[in-house]
Amino acid sequence: MYRGRLERDFKHWVGMGLLPEASARQMLAEYDGRESTFRAGRVLLVLAALLLSASILLLVAANWEALPRLARLIGIVGLIWGFHLAGALLLRRGNGGLAAAALVLATMSFGAGIALVGQMYHLSGEAADAILLWIAGACVTALAFRSAAATTVCGGLAWAYFLTLLSEGDLGDIVQWQTWLVPALAVVVVVLVRVTDAGRARHLAYLLVMAWLVWLYIENPSLAFAGALAGGGIIAFLAAAVPGSPLRPMALEAGSAPAFYSFALALIGFAVLQFEADGLTGQVAAGAAVLIVALLGIALAGAQNGAVRYLGYAAFAGELLYLAFETLGSMLGTSGFFLISGLLVAAIAWLVIRIEGRLMRTRRKEVSP
Amino acid sequence: MTGIAPKRGWLPPLVAALIAAVLQTAALGYMVESRASILRNGKEVLLKTVPVDPRDLLRGDYVILSYDISWLPPALFKGGLPTAPAETAVFVRLAKQPDGFWAAAEASFKPLAPVDDSVVLQSQPFTYYPSSSENPSSINVDYGIERFYVPEGEGRVLEQARNAEALSVSVRINDAGRAQIRQIAVEGTPVYEEPLY
Repeated sequence: MYRGRLERDFKHWVGMGLLPEASARQMLAEYDGRESTFRAGRVLLVLAALLLSASILLLVAANWEALPRLARLIGIVGLIWGFHLAGALLLRRGNGGLAAAALVLATMSFGAGIALVGQMYHLSGEAADAILLWIAGACVTALAFRSAAATTVCGGLAWAYFLTLLSEGDLGDIVQWQTWLVPALAVVVVVLVRVTDAGRARHLAYLLVMAWLVWLYIENPSLAFAGALAGGGIIAFLAAAVPGSPLRPMALEAGSAPAFYSFALALIGFAVLQFEADGLTGQVAAGAAVLIVALLGIALAGAQNGAVRYLGYAAFAGELLYLAFETLGSMLGTSGFFLISGLLVAAIAWLVIRIEGRLMRTRRKEVSP
Repeated sequence: MTGIAPKRGWLPPLVAALIAAVLQTAALGYMVESRASILRNGKEVLLKTVPVDPRDLLRGDYVILSYDISWLPPALFKGGLPTAPAETAVFVRLAKQPDGFWAAAEASFKPLAPVDDSVVLQSQPFTYYPSSSENPSSINVDYGIERFYVPEGEGRVLEQARNAEALSVSVRINDAGRAQIRQIAVEGTPVYEEPLY
């Protein structure tokens, strides 16, 4: 990934004499020392914590009679206290990796406690409500410790809530408040990510919102909804990616996520519009729109944002295949459509190459004197 | 991406641990006590059940219980039925029958006043859709006592008894109309008696 590319490029620049070898080595050492860098040992620790948590959860589910249930309850509360205190002590000793694992175990023990009480008193209420309480507890742990690991657990639990609603068939009805709780949970996770600096856990929240929107559309399909998805996505993407947009600096600071997810949303919207479109004109318009959005993404954000670029390629290729198989009116008509779009894209490419060439010449002039 | 320098915690770790553990323990304690108080102080009624080993991922094996009072005929609703779909709950007045079991005597979509020798039970919230036919069918409601969790593998006995209609369930109901299973009996002999904690 990035680490590998960085090392390769440094070697290239050192070879060209642009960068002293000592500086390159120092820069790599600085990168490796960062908190956010992937460390196999730390990740394995947290995965081990998840396995142990699964064992605790299943021990509760087994409803084992050898242990009286009051003893089980006291045991679970003991685990909650033990893991929180262990996390605190490990943090004080500066052992962040082990502390993260302990806090994951602490939040999972709280979930086991909720399940145990539900079992003790035969609560036949919905599992989704229990997960909400669990999320609240996990949020407290994440906030109190500013723990990125606990935030990630929250993100996973938000998904668990969404999937539980899906499996219980409770979602999609716009009237029900549970439906609106899913994006609210995503917002909570994003806030936690900002506060705890959990970085990658933000994707759990973004993906949750996307999945939720798609599900909402499947349950309430309408042309207006599809148009809103497409329009909202394209506006958000333009706000994040068009040079000169007031929101662009903020979006760039947040990394590649804002541009990528708004782009994905726009693509989903236009794909859904294509599904809604009927008649030849509608089909041609929808097909052209998907192709234009894909090109727009590649042209506007492709240079800085690899994720947008590859999603754009994939959408472009997928749409080409779809149109070729779907046939717009007749094969001759589809061929004509591709002929016109091919010529148009070639003309745009010629323009873009000229603009890029001029930009590069001015930049070289700035650097060389 | 986010800032390169890691953010520092804002609370001393031990304080953070105390806050999280106390709040989570309090949540569990509240859940326990809210149910145990029904078992301790609720009024007891005996319900008849009518005719798999389902498993819940987190809480384990359970037996599904359905009651006579889970199906309410429209005639019980003396105040009439709502005419528009609504998120609502049903209140059911239970009265003791000569055979010792309690049955629904009256039902309403509005709270029922307490009357001696009867207990008011409140259903779980549900979405009511009015029926368009002349003779609307019975309304199916849940009371939150439809599951009984058993040790792994022990569900069969109860299920056979339930299917033979030999199972009876003692339930305690508090003033707010919330119910809690206290005892399960097969042919009148208690098999599971629930402790307070």
